[in-house]
Amino acid sequence: MADIATYLLTGLGLVFFIAGTVGLIRFPDQFSRLHALTKGDNLGLGFIALGVAFQTDTWAQVAMLVLIWGLALLAAGTVAPLVARAALTESRKP
Amino acid sequence: MHRALLLGGAWLTLTGAEALVLGVLVTGLSVWLSLRLLPAKHPLALWRLAQHLPRFLAGSVSGGVDVARRAFSSDMRLNPGWLEISSDLPDGARVALGGELSLMPGTLSAGSEDGKLLVHVLDTSAGFDSAIPREVEDIAAIIGQTPKVRP
Repeated sequence: MADIATYLLTGLGLVFFIAGTVGLIRFPDQFSRLHALTKGDNLGLGFIALGVAFQTDTWAQVAMLVLIWGLALLAAGTVAPLVARAALTESRKP
Repeated sequence: MHRALLLGGAWLTLTGAEALVLGVLVTGLSVWLSLRLLPAKHPLALWRLAQHLPRFLAGSVSGGVDVARRAFSSDMRLNPGWLEISSDLPDGARVALGGELSLMPGTLSAGSEDGKLLVHVLDTSAGFDSAIPREVEDIAAIIGQTPKVRP
């Protein structure tokens, strides 16, 4: 039962990672590509962490997965505006 | 105090119940460093942060699903544009708002200019911007302010 949940959730996570990558390749400009990467991968990692959580033995391991996801989110939320800012500054150069 | 809770919690999560003495030392040191680098100017209401979590998770899911749908659809239905958000949030909170919006459906911050947050919208006709005032309110509540939004 737990194994099935893991298969389904990590599989779903992979779909979102693929979506993020497809968006990165297909979307027309830097900013739209950033949307795809941050949001797609954020959700992908969330589902993979959730799927792996079904394989843990202790709550401490679950807490660690939550911490990993939280830190990755924080990093994505911080880095995305910075990259967008850099792209904006670059595109405004004469 | 809040930082001690957060950083101590992170240490406990990473190490388990071992190395408690070292943990107290490291937590103390990192709280000191954190306060030195970023002095506490605004109160941080952790319960408000916790209250915001369900909305954040829901936004993350719909943001991911939205971007995935567009990535896989043949015409992608993109109609990108820019918005400027002015609010009474202090600088740090505006950065936090930018980070938050970057993870919510259809919006991406590109830093601020003259106190206004620059926001890139993936599809200007999809009404992503209607969620922004609510985000501003939530962030303001987390640092103990009542906000006014000027769209």
